[in-house]
Amino acid sequence: MDAAQPAPAAVATPDTAGVRVLVADDEDDIRALVTLAVRKAGCTVVGSVADGSAALDLARAELPHLAVLDVSMPGATGLEVCVALRADPATAGIRILLLSAGASLEDVAAGLAAGADAYLAKPFQVSGLVQQVRALTARQPA
Amino acid sequence: MTAVEVGPAVLGHPTPRRFGRLTALFSGQSTVLDRSLPSTVLFAVAALLLGTGTLPVADGELVLAGLASAFLATLVARLVTQPAVAGDLALVVPLVHLGAVGLLSAGTGSAGVLFLLLGPVLTLVATPGRRGVLVAALGTAGALLLPELLASSTAPGTSLPGALLLGPLAVGLGGLGVNEGARRLAGQAARIERLENERAVLLAQVQTRADELDQATRMLAARAQTMTSVIDAVTEQSIIGTDRDGVIRVWNPGAEKMLGLPRPEVVRKRSILEFHLPEELEAVSEEDGSATGLAALVHAAQEHGSDVRDWTYVAADGQQRTVSVAITPRTDDQGAHAGWNFVGTDMTEARATERMKDQFVSLISHELRTPLTSILGYLELVLEDEEQPLTDEQRSFLTTVERNADRLLRLVGDLLFTAQVDAGRFTLKPEDVDLATVVRSAEESVRVTAAAAGVGIVVDVPAGGLVVPGDAVRLGQACDNLVSNAVKFTPDGGQVTLTLRTAWQTPDGAVYTDARPDAAPVAQLAVSDTGIGIPSTEQGKLFTRFFRASTAQKNAVPGVGLGLAITKAITTAHGGMLDLVSAEGAGTTFTLTLPL
Repeated sequence: MDAAQPAPAAVATPDTAGVRVLVADDEDDIRALVTLAVRKAGCTVVGSVADGSAALDLARAELPHLAVLDVSMPGATGLEVCVALRADPATAGIRILLLSAGASLEDVAAGLAAGADAYLAKPFQVSGLVQQVRALTARQPA
Repeated sequence: MTAVEVGPAVLGHPTPRRFGRLTALFSGQSTVLDRSLPSTVLFAVAALLLGTGTLPVADGELVLAGLASAFLATLVARLVTQPAVAGDLALVVPLVHLGAVGLLSAGTGSAGVLFLLLGPVLTLVATPGRRGVLVAALGTAGALLLPELLASSTAPGTSLPGALLLGPLAVGLGGLGVNEGARRLAGQAARIERLENERAVLLAQVQTRADELDQATRMLAARAQTMTSVIDAVTEQSIIGTDRDGVIRVWNPGAEKMLGLPRPEVVRKRSILEFHLPEELEAVSEEDGSATGLAALVHAAQEHGSDVRDWTYVAADGQQRTVSVAITPRTDDQGAHAGWNFVGTDMTEARATERMKDQFVSLISHELRTPLTSILGYLELVLEDEEQPLTDEQRSFLTTVERNADRLLRLVGDLLFTAQVDAGRFTLKPEDVDLATVVRSAEESVRVTAAAAGVGIVVDVPAGGLVVPGDAVRLGQACDNLVSNAVKFTPDGGQVTLTLRTAWQTPDGAVYTDARPDAAPVAQLAVSDTGIGIPSTEQGKLFTRFFRASTAQKNAVPGVGLGLAITKAITTAHGGMLDLVSAEGAGTTFTLTLPL
């Protein structure tokens, strides 16, 4: 996971201010947890959805900087959303972080092959997710 | 193979009777009685002739003496049975008969009785050897002379000196001829008998051979019948035999059932390839670099002598079955390659069940991880919330919740991992792993627990590290299992020692601490404790999933019995070995050996 680079120690740096993030997970509790972590990273949550096709529609409409996607979702899986976003030039630049309860090598490889920038296995440490979000969005010029 | 039984009729083949009689007469084997019978019969005729008056009686005493001596001699011959005495009697009895003829000749005064000479003379000349001829000539002379001698004592005068000379001479010469003829006849008879005996022996041999052949044929037929009935009894496995070109020659009821075609429609009419998927054979041929078709099917069996793997069989109705097929080459009685055997077990349902189990475990582990993600995530938020700090008690309680959630998570991981090992889907991510770092981090992870339990840990690893090829995460898991086990099973005041060093392993698997010419270097990690130990009777079962040693249960050491099974699986996947030495009450040492 090359994206796991040391993030700035500050709680909210100017890097992440105004960064817009889309959160998609069919589990309400986890969606809420991810939303909290994204806010902890200093980013703005532009949308929080529970299925793949809604995530895709919202991503096309909002063009967020980062999409945090669960892999197994109804409508379209995280991997399918990932492929679709990469295929469309308008959305190809969106950073993607995949979350999955499957943690095998095959799962990681499938996620990265679909075009994800990073992959995080469930259960994840909230602090780890915060760091990932910062790392992925800090590279993006605000 | 049972011995060939030879009936008594074969061994006891009798010599034909007709030859026996003939050869016995001329080879001197007949009894004295047999030989004197013709003479005796002639005497009886003479007695009859005398009695009826056909022959004149001149001197009644001499006639009586003659007849009496003749019958007496026959009687003696009748009584004597011993062969030794019989030999001499063979000459004596006819001689007495000759004397009796002489007496009769004198007693009747008639030459008519001389026909009686014929019997004893023939008997004598027919006796083997020339002696009989001489005795016959002399006896004849005596018989002819006797009347003269008796007559001269009473009334001398009339004599026939010419007859006295000519009679014995004729008897001698004729006798020689008869004797020679008899000798030749006896020789021929003996030869005939010998040939007859040889023929009988040959006949017996031929009969024996024929019986053996018959027996062997029956046994072969029985064996073939046994083989056929065994093959025919197999109804749940397909047994298919082909020639070298793949044309089917053997097709058992199991094959009929599995592939839906009766034997007559298949044997010599179809190729084994008609029941395989061409694309599957194509894929195998690409993988093995072999030719396509039959060559691809039997490639591995040809290379290794046998091959067992799953193939897809296509039944007559087009239905596809997953079949575990054992392929072996078949040889003929000369040892030459004759074809191929395919023994198949339908695994369609079994494989489907395996897939379902696999999917089930994945689903369960996914479903368990999802709530655990929330539990652990929110716990972290509460525990790390600096704005609303917890009381010490609250923190302690929630830490307990967190620890148990972690334990549940590990269990889910272990279950999933064991299922992956079972399904053969356990893959390693190979890289260079420094085992010294792995050991140190394992020690770090148990340091707090060990300190709380009063267990000391000594780490002895090479300062420069020890790098092995392997999967860092899995090796870490294996090492963590061994170290946490050692701490768990060691009572207060005990010690756990982690020793990592380079060792040398010979091809037979033995590991030495010093370098040896034929040994390969290996990394050896010994995890020793001074704990409760494992009873020797349970050590063999220790790596079995869900097995827990009685000492573990007795001492209420927590665990489910997956750790060592997983550690063993990881070690095996790395081409390494996991051994243990343990004494109950004294401690346990696990030794993990990995190739460098």
